Amino acid sequence: MLLGFLRPTAGRASVFGLDCWRNSSRIKADVGYLPGDLRLPSWMNGGEALRIFGMIRRRDMLRQGPDLAERFALDLGVRVSEMSRGMRQKLGLVLALAHRPRLLILDEPTAGLDPLMQEALRHLLREMAAAGHTVFFSSHTLGEVEQLCERVAILREGRLVADASLEELRGRSQREVTILWNGEASAPEDPPPFLRLAAREGRTWSGHLAGPVRELLVWAASQPIEDIRIGHPDLESLFRRYYRQGSDAS
Amino acid sequence: MNRGVIVKAARETWAATLLLGLGLLFVEAILSYVLPTFQEQFSATFLQLRFVQSFLQALLGTEMSGRIDPGMFVSVAWVHPVVLAIVWTHAILLCTRVPAGEVDRGTVDILLGLPVSRWELCCSETFLWIVSGVAILSMGMAGNVLGSSRLPPEMRPDASRQMIVLANLLCLYLAVGALTWLLSSMSNRRGRAISAAFGAVLASFLLTYLAQIWSPAERVSFLSVLHYYRPLPVLRDGLWPARDMLVLGAAAAGLWVAAGVIFNRRDLSTV
Repeated sequence: MLLGFLRPTAGRASVFGLDCWRNSSRIKADVGYLPGDLRLPSWMNGGEALRIFGMIRRRDMLRQGPDLAERFALDLGVRVSEMSRGMRQKLGLVLALAHRPRLLILDEPTAGLDPLMQEALRHLLREMAAAGHTVFFSSHTLGEVEQLCERVAILREGRLVADASLEELRGRSQREVTILWNGEASAPEDPPPFLRLAAREGRTWSGHLAGPVRELLVWAASQPIEDIRIGHPDLESLFRRYYRQGSDAS
Repeated sequence: MNRGVIVKAARETWAATLLLGLGLLFVEAILSYVLPTFQEQFSATFLQLRFVQSFLQALLGTEMSGRIDPGMFVSVAWVHPVVLAIVWTHAILLCTRVPAGEVDRGTVDILLGLPVSRWELCCSETFLWIVSGVAILSMGMAGNVLGSSRLPPEMRPDASRQMIVLANLLCLYLAVGALTWLLSSMSNRRGRAISAAFGAVLASFLLTYLAQIWSPAERVSFLSVLHYYRPLPVLRDGLWPARDMLVLGAAAAGLWVAAGVIFNRRDLSTV
């Protein structure tokens, strides 16, 4: 919808203050886009793709393109029909980045890339973000999102269920608590009221803190505890929690 | 119009255009030489058959009324089913590229992700389609001139009249292409759009033929595109088929605009 492929059935979407349906081509002049399922004409090679896409964009993409290709170790002389999935993905990234867009929309950009190239991409995206470019990044690999993104939105069945900075999302959630007792017998029968247990496995309790940390620390000081870990949940458990809440509600 | 889109489209279609153009050149050269050369043999054998007469009348779009002359044989070179099939194949191939072809091969996302409006895309593709249509018909004309240059001077067709036929054929080409464009703009599968377009031109062909032998079909024969393409009277009398060209041109323009409007308003994505 942001790129004007789909017409909104209700409401409106805008990018750079312009309506995404009516001003789609103006918006796209400053957008770099990588689709999730990238398909390129099979007869093109990287150089031709940069030349033709540059002509369509009315920008010289051959200035930045070869440098980007070098960073991704991509041979621009190979035809798309002879490229592996990873090479096609790299070419897609070069085509999305070569005109230095103000906004990047990347759908699963690391799919098909080896770990070294994934790191090179993360590095490049961080550079672009630091230079003031906006990167709109969609991924099912939440560890990757956690490493890269400042702000996270979670979609559930096509609806936005969360949209906040990672810190804010973590702050909104209850802290995760893991307690390791000295021995199985030393654990009390019931947890204190501010600790909601999710699991008891041998000497280990894990759950969520439903009160202030200080209260937990005071209580823990009087218990035969070998180790205690109090932390913010990672993105994956936040995501699971949002999905679970949604399922419970429905 | 967008130069990059035109270059991309030209890169993807030049081989088909060249191949079909050479095919048309070859067929026209053969027909324009063979038919007038062997007209006596054809007249004595094939043209005595009722079925062949009806078929030829359907193709020529006019009553033969027993008049069998070189002009009739020359005009067959412009209405021969192989010639029409080549011209229509080219129009159908080019006019199903966008959007059906792009959606079908999954490249529409990357194409629409570029800063080009759908109307601009439509106009650029149309520009290439018309230019390559003119090129392919010119190759047909070249074949015709090449073939008839081997005939005795008195049997050679009049070049200016042939140009009028060519202009009429271009209008027919545009009408078939615009109809195909409309079918393509409503489809996500190129194969489906091609089948529907071939079905429509085949139905048109059959309707024109049936109109020669079945009066109910004659009443609706105006619905067929071939009803507006009649080379024989042009080659015999040298008159411009202004009404026929106008109808075909208006149909092409109307269908193209409808296709553009649908293409501009519909949701397009491979996801």
